[in-house]
Amino acid sequence: MNSYVWRVIKSGVIILGLVLASITIRVNAQEPIRIGVLLPVTGPFAKSGIEALEAMQIAREMINERGGIKGRKIVYLQGDATNPNAAISETERLITKDGIKITTGSFASPIAIAVSQAAERYGVFHWETTGAAEIITRRGFKNTFQVGAPARKYSQAAVDFIIEDLSKRLNKPVKDLRIALLWENRAFGKSVGDGVRLYSEAKGIKLIYDEGYDQFATDMTPIVQKLKDVQPDVLIAVSFPNDAILFQRKAKEFNLNVAAFIGVSAGYSSPDLRASLGDMVNGIFVSDFPPKVNVNVLKPETRKVADEFYKRYEDKFKRPPAGHAAASFSAIWALFTEVFPKAKTFEPAELREIALKLDLPEGTLVNGSGIKFTNFDWPDEPKDAGQNLRAAIGIWQWTKIGNEQVFPPKLATREAAQVPLPVWSNR
Amino acid sequence: MSTLGQLVFSGILIGGIYALMSIGLTLIFGVLRIVNFAHGEFLMISMYGAWAITHYLGFNSYVAALAIVPAMFLFGALVHRLIINPALDKPHLVVVFATMGLSIFLQNLALMLMTADLLDVPPIFSNSITIGPFFFKAELLLGFALTILCTIALQWMIRSTYLGKAIRATVQDGEAAMLMGIPVPRIFLITFSLGSALVGLAACIMLPLFSVFPTVGLNFVLIAFVIVVLGGMGSIEGAMLGGICIGVVQSLSSYYVAPAFGQMFFFILFLLVMIFRPNGLFGQKGASLIGMND
Repeated sequence: MNSYVWRVIKSGVIILGLVLASITIRVNAQEPIRIGVLLPVTGPFAKSGIEALEAMQIAREMINERGGIKGRKIVYLQGDATNPNAAISETERLITKDGIKITTGSFASPIAIAVSQAAERYGVFHWETTGAAEIITRRGFKNTFQVGAPARKYSQAAVDFIIEDLSKRLNKPVKDLRIALLWENRAFGKSVGDGVRLYSEAKGIKLIYDEGYDQFATDMTPIVQKLKDVQPDVLIAVSFPNDAILFQRKAKEFNLNVAAFIGVSAGYSSPDLRASLGDMVNGIFVSDFPPKVNVNVLKPETRKVADEFYKRYEDKFKRPPAGHAAASFSAIWALFTEVFPKAKTFEPAELREIALKLDLPEGTLVNGSGIKFTNFDWPDEPKDAGQNLRAAIGIWQWTKIGNEQVFPPKLATREAAQVPLPVWSNR
Repeated sequence: MSTLGQLVFSGILIGGIYALMSIGLTLIFGVLRIVNFAHGEFLMISMYGAWAITHYLGFNSYVAALAIVPAMFLFGALVHRLIINPALDKPHLVVVFATMGLSIFLQNLALMLMTADLLDVPPIFSNSITIGPFFFKAELLLGFALTILCTIALQWMIRSTYLGKAIRATVQDGEAAMLMGIPVPRIFLITFSLGSALVGLAACIMLPLFSVFPTVGLNFVLIAFVIVVLGGMGSIEGAMLGGICIGVVQSLSSYYVAPAFGQMFFFILFLLVMIFRPNGLFGQKGASLIGMND
């Protein structure tokens, strides 16, 4: 009898042990997937960095509400990448202290350059959402994937728009159009500026003005004066918000009129622009991530995700997301739904293999992008591993009430309007 | 020719604004012998204050100055009491780090409270003034006029009033001034507050011209430091002329050389002045030493 009780106790203990073990294993299985999110939430880039973060937080909520990835929740560990130095130390902190193996972010090109460098050094998988400078994926890094468009796409969109659309609307052959280029002289602006120069040369267009400036400049008088001297028909300007506002005000003050104005990215796509400039923004074209594309281009299941994202974002922040916010959402959502489900170990090498095999047609991501990364076997650009060949970049236009995608025709929600741009006294 | 004229005029006007923003800094430096690294953030919080008055109460930002200037005077007094005064008799680096810490604190406080959004006020005058071939922004002209007025008033105050004399005595020899019955700590307090109030005024004049955001101070503070050194540390008319010099050099070099080099050229000017006139254009010899010997 005693031995029977003993046996019952023993088997009970064993069963209990097994149950406990299985619970532990299940707990392990449900351990969250931790991602290091490197974005500037303080400092000069904070405005856009926070907007990108907000969009990525919505993506995390949405995926976790759907049960996470194979039962594992997504957790963000944040690093404040105020500037390149901070970006490096914050990335290293997340990697060495918290054992992060996947990083993402980081809004601005100089920060993306720094984050990806630190991640690469530790063999960490870096999923770059919006950083655009070409150099990000031209250093032979193995683990950096640039989901947003590389800078030359911003440039090409602007130049293609002039050739295929504006020149007809302005009734002038492209070779007779006077095209000027103004770029802020840090990583992003320079990269886009270089792209415009090279691409327009390739298309046989000669720029009548081509100059860089410091985005922290406090006086735009000399630049506006120079542009008045050369009288461009079309002006392409690569700017950040503060300098974009200063420039537009000075242009109005000096009555600098152009037939079409194409702003590139952050400065001209920032929602602040209307708050600061009011109706002065109407008619300005913007070459950037599309804030919202023609739904017809999206795959049916993407449309549902897009509806949910836009609704959540607008309900929460009482304004529509900017292009870089929509792009941040698109990129991180692709990581959650296209890369992670195929992963078993979540080790960088495995994630890299999955990423390089991705072949998603345009319209798979909420902002109209698809994903097809270049890899080391790519013949033309051997170092472009991880540039997304199907990132969507187009031209949209500020309108009286919001904005409309106008180019390329496939993504467009409306045709370009206000060409030529009314002179300042009529705007 | 008209281009050159336009550039010079624009340079002078924007230089005047730079000068106004630097006068507070030079005053504090001249009397207390400390560099307030939070100067740019004083500008930033004043701009936010002026923005709030403009935005919520509907006054224009010049009217807002009536509230912001006294408010910044009090804020300056508070900062002096809590941060500057306790650090004054410590090694020089303590003030540097204290004000730098204050600068980072204020920047991030602004980021938390106001977010990183760029804020603006609607333009006060909708069109620019055209005189012959030249364009002038009315707000800029008004700002320049106020700067001149302010410089003259401050000069008069320093030269002719009892307070001004006490300030000058403190600058010349703090210990002797104290023996003569001048309350030196109070002079320090008043000067620091006055310097802060002047930044407040500058902010109200700058608000119609520039957007305000948490790091707006960083865009201007470097220029302010250069102006203070260029004009001769502690010299008010020096700051005025230093500001105009910077404005014109920046404007001309950006146009004739390249916009990216505007800042480089005023630093070249800065280096030249440092080499050939180490006390600045208007500084008295040994200005940076007076007051440190006591």
